[in-house]
Amino acid sequence: MTSVKIKNLTKRYGKTIAVENVNLEIKDGELFILLGPSGCGKTTTLLCIAGLINPDEGEVWFGDDMITCAEHNKFERPQERNVAMVFQDYAIYPHMTVFKNIAFPLEVRKKHKHEIETRVKEVAERLGISELLERKPKQLSGGQRQRVALARAIVREPKVFLMDEPLSNLDAKLRVYARAELKRLHKRLGVTIVYVTHDQLEAMSIGDRIAILNNGFLEQIDTPENIYNSPKNIFVAGFIGSPPMNMLDGTLIEKDGKLFVDLGFSTYELSNRFDKLKKIKSTEVILGIRPEDISISKENIKNSIKAKVDIIELMGRELSIHHRVNENTIIAITKPTEDLEIGDELYLVFVNEKIHVFDKNTEENLITKNS
Amino acid sequence: MRFLRFKRVILYILLIFFVIVTLLPLWAGIMTAFKTEADLIYTTPLEPPSSPTTEPLEKTFIIMQRPLQNSLIFTSVATILSCFLGSIAGYTLTKIKFKGSNTVFLGLIIGIFIPYQAVLVPLVMTMVSWGLYNTVWGLILTHTVYGIPICTLLFRSFYVGIPDSLINAAKTDGAGTWIIYRRIILPLSLMPFVVASVFQFTNIWNDFLFGLVLSRGTEAMPASVALANLKGGFVAMWNLQMAGTLWYTLPALIVYLILGKYLIKGFMTGAVKG
Amino acid sequence: MKRKRISRKIFTKDRIIIQFIFLISVLLVGYFVYIGIGWNVVVSLSDWEGLVPSYNIVGFDQYIKLLGDPIFFTSLMNNILLMLIFVPCTLFLGLFLAILLDQKVRKESVFRTIYLLPFTLSFVVTGFLWRWMYNPSMGVINTLLETIGLELLKSGWITDPNMAMFCVIISLIWQFAGYAMLIFLAGIRSIPESHIMAAEVDGASGFQLYKRVIIPQIKASTFTAFVILMVFALKAFDFIYILTGGGPAGWATEILPLTMYKETFAMTHFAYGSTIATVLFLLVMAIVIPYLYSTYRRK
Repeated sequence: MTSVKIKNLTKRYGKTIAVENVNLEIKDGELFILLGPSGCGKTTTLLCIAGLINPDEGEVWFGDDMITCAEHNKFERPQERNVAMVFQDYAIYPHMTVFKNIAFPLEVRKKHKHEIETRVKEVAERLGISELLERKPKQLSGGQRQRVALARAIVREPKVFLMDEPLSNLDAKLRVYARAELKRLHKRLGVTIVYVTHDQLEAMSIGDRIAILNNGFLEQIDTPENIYNSPKNIFVAGFIGSPPMNMLDGTLIEKDGKLFVDLGFSTYELSNRFDKLKKIKSTEVILGIRPEDISISKENIKNSIKAKVDIIELMGRELSIHHRVNENTIIAITKPTEDLEIGDELYLVFVNEKIHVFDKNTEENLITKNS
Repeated sequence: MRFLRFKRVILYILLIFFVIVTLLPLWAGIMTAFKTEADLIYTTPLEPPSSPTTEPLEKTFIIMQRPLQNSLIFTSVATILSCFLGSIAGYTLTKIKFKGSNTVFLGLIIGIFIPYQAVLVPLVMTMVSWGLYNTVWGLILTHTVYGIPICTLLFRSFYVGIPDSLINAAKTDGAGTWIIYRRIILPLSLMPFVVASVFQFTNIWNDFLFGLVLSRGTEAMPASVALANLKGGFVAMWNLQMAGTLWYTLPALIVYLILGKYLIKGFMTGAVKG
Repeated sequence: MKRKRISRKIFTKDRIIIQFIFLISVLLVGYFVYIGIGWNVVVSLSDWEGLVPSYNIVGFDQYIKLLGDPIFFTSLMNNILLMLIFVPCTLFLGLFLAILLDQKVRKESVFRTIYLLPFTLSFVVTGFLWRWMYNPSMGVINTLLETIGLELLKSGWITDPNMAMFCVIISLIWQFAGYAMLIFLAGIRSIPESHIMAAEVDGASGFQLYKRVIIPQIKASTFTAFVILMVFALKAFDFIYILTGGGPAGWATEILPLTMYKETFAMTHFAYGSTIATVLFLLVMAIVIPYLYSTYRRK
């Protein structure tokens, strides 16, 4: 087990930039998530850690060992790195039995036959695939293949586990189960895992920390809670959370010593939590509020926004209500007990502590930036 | 269902007509090969022999035996060698990409199309100076070399279908390039090996031009050249000519009738004859 | 810096076995194809005659000689005749057979195997079989015509200078039609069933279905078959060597590869033979290079 450090990693394909100047420090024993939309550079970063592609610039360190340094043209080959990888399509060798698949990394390392057998059986036992050992991959279900891929990675006892969307080929129900199982396995083994996914829900539920990438740039690294509660910028705020955060264009204005956001159709008063924004008044901002941080009132309460119910979606335990406010749509999530009908006029109240204010030009979160 | 107006009867009549046209020359050849000289005169070529005889086959076998042996040897060895080299080349060009690998690939497969006349003089000169002229080894080398391009194409088109993640998994599992080839690629290559070897066997067995310019006398003479020589040796003795033809075509015919579907796969992968 | 990195990437220790074997292939093809072609061009610029390979470079003398050689033009015309008649007829017959076989025919694979059979035979074999077919005195065709009472149609076939080339073409169509059929059939079969169903729903059937939906979608297969047949029309050697040897009447069925072979290996005019080979090579490349370019450009 080891920590992983990435310094100034850059990879280009011709003129397109896959990853630009990414810095990461992954702690020993951490389940670290690389999250982002497709093409954001998360898989490229993972492959650079694996040594399957060589970066144009930057360094990769495992603990105190520098295994990649583009500047000195040092690229340790994947087979020398002692990393194990689980691939999106599992990459199970189709011509080998499950036993042979799991044994392959040990055989290649010329381990003793007896040792190979004990270890393969041990790992198979642990993942509950002991009865499948003599089967061929063709005879396995998706979930079973995923476990075989996992077993092949675990049997090596590598320094670092790399996982490239390992659950994305499972059906929705199985995925939730596999997620929990993976989390449990990580706890028990205490290994370092670098995990790539585009699914924010998956990232939030299993990650110790998350790095969010976009267009090759690192947007934010933090724990799931912090990323959710204090997104660093508009991209992160919009990417995390479902339904996504409501974003309203506005202007900061100060009147009678108080701070307001002029939304055009309405003016919203900000609490004194935002007082530090006074020095940057009159800038264009975006006011962000998550759907679950909006409450609904039928009476006109002070500092609320008048809205009209447009769509009501029942989402199991809760309702997702789309409101029309002038040209904008604001989504709120409420208990299904509310007695609402389409066309109803009502008032939206934002939970004050949960309001985010972003600079419209730099897209940065103005509160976290100035704290 | 598709050709509703097309009467099924006419369809089958047409299909069978083309079968007859296709098989007519072969039928005539086979019938003639079993005829005595008297039958040759008293029966028409399409009629079966009135007193079938294997004498023409026996007579021509004496002449064809050594050339058939030669052909069998150089065809088999060159088939194995060109398939092996093609497999390695296909693997290199698909799974170990390097700068210019596409150019190298195109450079290799142009070799499929070139008219061999354009390399014939240098080929003969080289074989003479390397001491390989009129030897089975010379024919092995020649057929191997000119088989590499098509084998590379066949294997490459199969290997692009093997997912890269399999190779990447093997790399992180600790395997080097050679081990990946031996433990992953090779076991998965049964199909292309069958296709390429059936294809190559047929091609090399059927060759005439290289055999014609690279052999003289019986030591290395291929069956195709020996058969061509029968033309002058047995003028108007059609039963002997057809018997020789039968000997020469038998191995290739058996391969086609048993492994034809693999040969078809080979033709489909953009392969050429001639 | 960059160059150094790439060379390191290719040549590392455990890659050496694979690299070495790959290098053997590249070197062999490089020598026997590319050096060979270059060397052949050099010979074509020389004055080499006779068995001993000693010669001086004399420039384009052989090419000038070529332009004044009627046999060269006869051969070239016969090659062109192959391209103009053999290629389209084979394609057409192949397409026709493919459409016939596409009618949900019972025992389709048996028909397919039989139609393709001639293509898998050596040209030496088919050459022999067709010599017997065309033989004027006892051959298959003339005796068959006699049997069915059509003696009027008996002919000298390959011994008649006016007919010989067409006899060659007919036998070659016989040998290649199955191959064209195979390519077209694969093309037709690769059209998604939904396209055909959609056209049928739209009311297309029979001939219309082929004309408007299927044939326009098999352009790629047609192109491949066309190129391969065109290249063959230039390269054909074995079959004509066996069937007619270029005769009758000297050069009635002579084609460039045959002329090249005779000049070089029968008359030991090595320089002149190489010149014909060079011309032949350029003609083939004029067809192949655009084909390869359009096929592999995207990869």
